[in-house]
Amino acid sequence: MGITTPTHDGIAKLTNCRLLRGNELVWGDVWVSSTTGKILRSQATFYDDLIMPDNTIDLKGRIVSPGFIECQLNGAFGFNFSTVLEDMSEYRKRVSDLNKRLVQTGVTSYIPTVTSQTSDLYKKVLPFLGTSGQRRAAEDGAESLGAHVEGPFLNPGKNGVHNVGVLRQAESFKDLEDMYGTSNINPDAADDSIPIKMITAAPELGHMMELIPELRSRGIVCSVGHSEATYEEASVAVAAGATMITHLFNAMRPLHHRNPGVFGVLGIAERLPRPFFGVIADGIHLHPTTVKIAWNAHPDGFILVTDAMHMAGLPDGTYPWTNGEAQQFITKKGAVLLLEGSETIAGSSSILIDCVNNFLQWSGATIPQALKAVTSTPAAMLDLKGVKGSLEAGADADLVVLSDSCTEDGLAGLVVEEVWKFGTKVFDNCTA
Amino acid sequence: MRLIIRDDTEAASFYVASYIVERIKHFDPAPAHPFVLGLPTGSSPLGVYRILVEKYKAGEISFENVVTFNMDEYIGIPRDHPQSYHTFMWQHFFSHVNIHPRNVHILDGNAPNLEAECVEYEAKIKSSGGIDLFLAGIGEDGHIAFNEPGSSLASRTRVKTLAYDTVLANSRFFNDDLDQVPKMALTVGVQTVLEAREVVVIVHGARKSLALQRCIEQGVNHMWTLSSLQLHPHPMIVCDEDATLELQVKTVKYFKSIEQVARAQGFEQILPSKIRTGPSKPALPAQTILVNGERDRHVDAAESESPTILAPQPTTSRLLSVATPASECPIRSRSVSPDIELVPDRMASRIADSSVFRGRLTPGPEVQANGLARVNAVGA
Ligand SMILES: [Zn+2]
Repeated sequence: MGITTPTHDGIAKLTNCRLLRGNELVWGDVWVSSTTGKILRSQATFYDDLIMPDNTIDLKGRIVSPGFIECQLNGAFGFNFSTVLEDMSEYRKRVSDLNKRLVQTGVTSYIPTVTSQTSDLYKKVLPFLGTSGQRRAAEDGAESLGAHVEGPFLNPGKNGVHNVGVLRQAESFKDLEDMYGTSNINPDAADDSIPIKMITAAPELGHMMELIPELRSRGIVCSVGHSEATYEEASVAVAAGATMITHLFNAMRPLHHRNPGVFGVLGIAERLPRPFFGVIADGIHLHPTTVKIAWNAHPDGFILVTDAMHMAGLPDGTYPWTNGEAQQFITKKGAVLLLEGSETIAGSSSILIDCVNNFLQWSGATIPQALKAVTSTPAAMLDLKGVKGSLEAGADADLVVLSDSCTEDGLAGLVVEEVWKFGTKVFDNCTA
Repeated sequence: MRLIIRDDTEAASFYVASYIVERIKHFDPAPAHPFVLGLPTGSSPLGVYRILVEKYKAGEISFENVVTFNMDEYIGIPRDHPQSYHTFMWQHFFSHVNIHPRNVHILDGNAPNLEAECVEYEAKIKSSGGIDLFLAGIGEDGHIAFNEPGSSLASRTRVKTLAYDTVLANSRFFNDDLDQVPKMALTVGVQTVLEAREVVVIVHGARKSLALQRCIEQGVNHMWTLSSLQLHPHPMIVCDEDATLELQVKTVKYFKSIEQVARAQGFEQILPSKIRTGPSKPALPAQTILVNGERDRHVDAAESESPTILAPQPTTSRLLSVATPASECPIRSRSVSPDIELVPDRMASRIADSSVFRGRLTPGPEVQANGLARVNAVGA
């Protein structure tokens, strides 16, 4: 009986590892293909395709999580998405550089966030921020799942650091098209893709409430944020199709016992769908207990985000920041970012794994529960269940290998040891 | 018949796994000289698979040149159903070792023509050169594979209706819903198992003790299909103490003493060397081989692809007719050196002068000694 020589199908088998499956870490193997960029149904690959892995990788008991998904990232490594460059081909290059560095932090896909800006800026930058994974090329690094426009249809009373001067109200869908550019909010004739994946808006203003179903029908996620919405208004927005809340607690009415505001919709009766919500667990934006309460209120909707600015990873100092029509400055001192000369928090400079570790430390959540908040939950929010944020067969083979070393005080924190994108290892902490 | 008794399930499983590992290593399989292993499913062999996987991961054994044939598979459930034997083998063994999928054979319970599937399966076993070692477990009613009580002892691979007891027992794996439990299966026949050059059966637990007693202390009977093993030239049953509950004390003592004496004499292995090393290897020059006493059949590299055995003889009828020396069972054999006459391996002739046969029997006696030491460590 002949035994054939091994073929090379770009299949790697990760073994001796604990896989994130639901609320558990389960010992098992995961097979990934760098050819298809997907996680394989290993049993069928063996029996049907008669294929063996080209590579077996012993992970020595480490954790394998789906790659992290970041839903609120304004920029990183010195590059701000809300920037117009003289030469926009340079912009494209800066985004692609950022993607290659971002992936090394464990973030394998994200929705680049553009704050409240002029129409001109949106029209210039959005074409560069749409979905970028079509090539399924591991070397491209982190992948954009579409842009997140945070504004400018926000409530001036809850502007945060956003420039009040550029804030607008939308009365019709045409207002949205005029603001963002028709081609950025409508499906492309060729491939049906839309550069914008998510819009943060204050539903109580203009006719935004009526525009939500229109946006939903295009597959665009509507998120309530920078809003003065009452509990009742927020509930109507959720009923209309809003499925997300942008940085819960920040830039919205606080929970009041007679009107729980936007936060109240997490306690909504089960007959209405409860929205997902982003929480900044950087230790600055929210008190640890507030984070814990939010999680307990609706664990399945809880998404950890950084809201990181482009100063993340840069030394302390004052950095220029394009904010609507104004040129402003942000002062970075340690992890704290403040609008220059004020006490207004201007985003964070943390990375997502830090937020995961903070959350683990504060909440008493298990590792699977914490990882869910940056994997399967954001994937579900972005209508990408089973494609991203999953270790099931057929999902994209975006993976993070984590170590969970412990000290006497308990878990020392998760450390990103390896990152895999589309079935190929793109980062190794040992060789980095 | 060898009966090896160990204190508990773990020790029995370890003995079997170590035995298989030693057999494969000694066989020294190569691409054109694969070791052909018959495999069971069910709870009995679970420990054996686990230990085989551990040994593979520890670098003690490679399955690269091992060809496997599984005993049975359900009809009519999807191949990747959690309860299918494909899934069982994948989860407990194949996914953890370096066996090549091309070398794995499991009956296809969804084949369009089930009868043809069975015929083809038998043909594949033959073209692989026959099974070197068939590992088996038994049911409480003494069945081997799905050859339940009343199965013909001359049966071959075929479609089988499952006994109602078996369907009931299986329902716990199918949400206690009898409608979901497969009622039919494909299974190798008793004869298919008996044609293997060696059969090793793992039995554990008190629930199997009556079956074991029937198969060892009583006669050959189609109501206890494992009893057919009495007709095989090289059977070995490995069990734990609990499984011996129904055996006579005399029987247990007898087999234990045999093992002890054999071990004391440095003679732990009863297989003839020609079975242990398998057929000639293509890398070697043409060899003189003996097939059922037929001499001077020359084989070369090309021929080694085809079976080097004659069509297997129906073991039962042959053994039932006249007392036949074990050496006449259908084996792929070659003399160790063309100069040495191959003599029938008879216990009496060996014990007379152990130093002589040890030199002849085992090319690497120290390997064997090591293997034995490990087995002792657990078994003692
Ligand atoms: Zn904001």
